[in-house]
Amino acid sequence: MTEITPAFENQVLDILAEVCESDEVKNEPDIRLFEEGLMDSFATIALLVEVGERMGIDVPISDFNRNQWATPNMIIQQLADRK
Amino acid sequence: MLNILRQIERWADQTPDQVCYVWRQERLTYGELKQKSDALSCWIDEVFGSDRAPILIHGHMHPNMIVLFLACIKSGHAYIPVDLSVPADRISMILEDSATQLVFSERPMLFPECTQKVVGFDQLNNMIAKYPNQRVSDDRAVNGEDVLYIIYTSGSTGRPKGVQIPHESLESFVSWMNQDFGLENRQTFMNQAPYSFDLSVMSLYPSLTMGGTLWAIDKDMIAQPAELVESLKKSDINIWVSTPSFAEICLMLPSFSQEILPDLHTFLFCGETLPVQVAENLQNHFPNAAIVNTYGPTESTVAVTSIQIKKDMLVNHLALPVGRCKSDCRILILDSDGHSVPEGEKGEIVICGPSVGKGYLNDPEKTNAAFGKVDGQRSYHTKDLGSLRNGLLYYHGRMDRQIKIHGFRMELEEIEHVLSSCSYVKQAAVLPIKKGETYDHLLGVVVAGTHSFEKSYQLSSAIRKEMSRYLPSYMLPRKFVYHASLPMTTNGKVDRKALLKEAVR
Repeated sequence: MTEITPAFENQVLDILAEVCESDEVKNEPDIRLFEEGLMDSFATIALLVEVGERMGIDVPISDFNRNQWATPNMIIQQLADRK
Repeated sequence: MLNILRQIERWADQTPDQVCYVWRQERLTYGELKQKSDALSCWIDEVFGSDRAPILIHGHMHPNMIVLFLACIKSGHAYIPVDLSVPADRISMILEDSATQLVFSERPMLFPECTQKVVGFDQLNNMIAKYPNQRVSDDRAVNGEDVLYIIYTSGSTGRPKGVQIPHESLESFVSWMNQDFGLENRQTFMNQAPYSFDLSVMSLYPSLTMGGTLWAIDKDMIAQPAELVESLKKSDINIWVSTPSFAEICLMLPSFSQEILPDLHTFLFCGETLPVQVAENLQNHFPNAAIVNTYGPTESTVAVTSIQIKKDMLVNHLALPVGRCKSDCRILILDSDGHSVPEGEKGEIVICGPSVGKGYLNDPEKTNAAFGKVDGQRSYHTKDLGSLRNGLLYYHGRMDRQIKIHGFRMELEEIEHVLSSCSYVKQAAVLPIKKGETYDHLLGVVVAGTHSFEKSYQLSSAIRKEMSRYLPSYMLPRKFVYHASLPMTTNGKVDRKALLKEAVR
């Protein structure tokens, strides 16, 4: 597993909070984003576009899997692994 | 006029081995569709022969869905398609409202306390085996003014309402599609919309009546883009039928182009406004394909106007027109006194003609408010704001609080009703939030009652869970904000404008 710095974590959470239109993701990093209705197919694409533009991490949409990108913590880890 | 069943069955006689439906590994031929639907219609006749109540069909993209639709039509029953994503409590309301006595379900375990007879899809093969090679006469079949399907849509009072579409309306719609859209026999149609959404009718019946193949895309494929791309690559789709929103998602897939869908020649859109940007992107990715925009509410059988979007329109128009009316119907634009407005002026879109359905099931009050007769033809007051210029219809939004998000129709009053009824909620308002020109998500504004949650996100989560018992996920607010009280107008109503202003600040 790649080491995750607090700055990296905060940057991902900031983007996630914007995409989900909710700060809940910052307070509850294990919340199931799709099951709770915080993310949908549109938000998924918006997230990948934002992390590409703001963090320089390009994730092909074909790599996205809702089971592996289900919570804020899982998303942080997935992105850290691709840094 | 064509008879829907006869048009489908001629393919079973001519080319019984032709595949009519593909879903993942499952294949259904026209021969099998006829044989299975004949047998199940015999079973329905035998067990529910004296009963004419509609039959509820509960499932997602399984081929048994279309077998059961035809079995219902053959046995003289209207069917109610209900998707697996519809919550159990909402299905209970539909069962109660429709007086249905019989349910076929892909997941029968979801109906433990149901007083109606529930038949699981796993029992169908045994039932079919009891009636081998049965020829069914069309004496009992749904025809003419008989209701063929009922689709439940969001209702402003907190209960969904059942839109009744008779055989003659579907006949008129399918004739129009088959003749005016340049469709040919034996084409492959994409079948992406869940059956509880009437957009699905736009691929289902044109395909089956023209000997085509329906290529089903299910919700799990849409959730996993890699799977979606794989399915599209294998599909040989000729005719794409979806909301513009679904095409917008696909356009973000790097591989989505003529290369993976070389035989795709027509995009058919319905369900929401087609953004110029989406049309332009599609033209760039699929330079050889025609893009057709359509318009119509569920109450007038999927769509009543259409237009092919050409390059010059994208240059000249800010908002795309939704098209010209099908020839057997008329569009009127009326002012609040019910008089026609001058050319180009805005007013309520009223649809007249055989496409207009038979009102809401068991709801004469709502039916009388929206449906009527003009020159002897059925008419429907859409509450959509529109204008006509040179026979072209332009759509300008809603006159009430019904909205569409990514093509899903919903009444904000219904969502507000459910939210206000939740534990921990004293008072609430629901606001639709736009991204650019289109609605993107819902915001719930809540005056909380007594609760023991330490953090507001825990409260939001509990409220969302409670709401999801009654509403499908696309009707749940994405975000909640908490106020000590809601601002009121001088008329004593919640001041939504003030709330919205604050929300977008």
